[in-house]
Amino acid sequence: MSAKRKSRGVISAYLFLTPAILGLIFYTFLPIIAVVGMGLTQWDALKAPKYIGLGNFAELFTNDMFFVRSVTSTLYFALFTVVLGTAYAFAVALLLNQRIAGRGLFRSIFFLPYIVPSIGAAIVWAWMYEANFGVINFVLNSIGLDKVHWLGDEATATPALGIMTIWGFGNYIVIYLAGLQGIPKTYLEAVEIDGGNTWHKFRHITLPLLSPVIFFNILMSIIANLQVFVPAMSITKGAPNGSTLYMVYYIFKQGFWNNRFGYASAVSLIFFAFIAVVTALIFVSSRNLLFFEGE
Amino acid sequence: MTMRTRTDFIITAIAALLGLACIFPFFWMLRSSFMNNIEIYQYPPRLLPSIWRGDNYPAALSIFPFGRYFINTLTIAIPSVTGTLLTSTMAAYALARFEFPFKRLIFTLVITSMLMPSTVTIIPIFKGWVALHLADGYVPLIVPAFLGGGAFNIFLCRQFLMTIPKDLDEAATIDGAGRIRILAQILLPLIKPVLISIGLFTFIIYWNDVLGPLIYISRNAQNTISQGLANMRAGFGTDYRAIMAASCMSVAPAVALYFVGQKYFIEGIVLSGLKS
Repeated sequence: MSAKRKSRGVISAYLFLTPAILGLIFYTFLPIIAVVGMGLTQWDALKAPKYIGLGNFAELFTNDMFFVRSVTSTLYFALFTVVLGTAYAFAVALLLNQRIAGRGLFRSIFFLPYIVPSIGAAIVWAWMYEANFGVINFVLNSIGLDKVHWLGDEATATPALGIMTIWGFGNYIVIYLAGLQGIPKTYLEAVEIDGGNTWHKFRHITLPLLSPVIFFNILMSIIANLQVFVPAMSITKGAPNGSTLYMVYYIFKQGFWNNRFGYASAVSLIFFAFIAVVTALIFVSSRNLLFFEGE
Repeated sequence: MTMRTRTDFIITAIAALLGLACIFPFFWMLRSSFMNNIEIYQYPPRLLPSIWRGDNYPAALSIFPFGRYFINTLTIAIPSVTGTLLTSTMAAYALARFEFPFKRLIFTLVITSMLMPSTVTIIPIFKGWVALHLADGYVPLIVPAFLGGGAFNIFLCRQFLMTIPKDLDEAATIDGAGRIRILAQILLPLIKPVLISIGLFTFIIYWNDVLGPLIYISRNAQNTISQGLANMRAGFGTDYRAIMAASCMSVAPAVALYFVGQKYFIEGIVLSGLKS
């Protein structure tokens, strides 16, 4: 290839990449730098920003009782949702991977909640959770249990929103099912020939082969669920007593309702650091658990 | 019944029970949308309406102008799907077919930005649009789609483009085709199923988006469906028959789209979870 043609190739490549590079600059790098800068200012409503050093952070950790609550409730929501949701998705996928009639139909049924508008889902779930007239308490009542104040009680609000969110985990069911169906039958038969039972097959073939898939999906669902917003915004408004005041909702409130843009940026920055630490921890802790084919 | 068929039967029965629980919220929404408020608030709850009242739908439409919200939502979603498909395939083509300085760096940055939580930067990005005097309207919601269309989509297209033999490009070059033509007329048709999946999922993401419209759309006449529904719940919180009817109307297009594009939805989601 001639030098002239090669340099024209470089120019074309950058032209094709221009939109994506602009996106990285204007939607990732500059905003991150801006979050750091804005976090050091007091920037209220239409007034000009004023540099206040670490003032926002001092206020967050010493004078804002809702902030710490916001961090812990976000972590609780994400852990609850990802741990139980992964177990649920994997269990349903294992079930659908058996010899089962109408697998395609079942797959559609479990998948559908994933693509439904989250506000619509939130509205009907809130009504099902309703303490006095809700159908969930009716079911509890009819098997002899007491009614639960699902959304009005600090102890149950996050689990209730978590269960609603797990209902939407249909994407993971489809992914795990595809992963299970991709496991070569010969591997499983080899275990049988060696006298292994169902548990052995699961423990020594299924789980190791799928571990990279499970890891990747747990990572993505933790990042997604730490950013929970819609349930808090549309159902609980952060109540009761800050137990559903998840961080994105808190950023949104401080920024767009209270017009405290500097303060909201400080929360965003801590939120970013928080997600980065969680992501790093998952990467480090998983290093020994994963099995990669061909390694 | 043999041992084998009995186990199969039990497994199917468990799946059926779980499946029923899973569609129950849809059923509850639909059944409530045909009741009056007295029946909705009845306890113990009744399974079906005494008479199926269709008049909740016109009643809902008087406070929830579905047609307008529908068009508003499409006004955001259609350009966004276009921008996503256009700019993500462009970037993927460069990364799959060209050698250029900083290629590895750019690819690494794209991959890393997949882990980047987008909600962290909502405040400075909003302030940026305010500075440009464009913070109230559709522009801030559509523009990001034209800036690469999401790291994940770039990655997915690149992976698929890499599987196509380069001989094809070279043959076309000899025949006098330019690079844009090679991409548009030779490569993209070969990865059409992936593009359809990306298009459908992008559409659903914009259809369901709540946070974006809440930040950037203040005028009621410009509201999206999800936003309109959220406002309706905030404003008419106890008129459940109308809210349930409006909820059904907002859910129906997504469900319909799923059944039309079922194959691509399933394949797309499998790719997103397994391909990496």
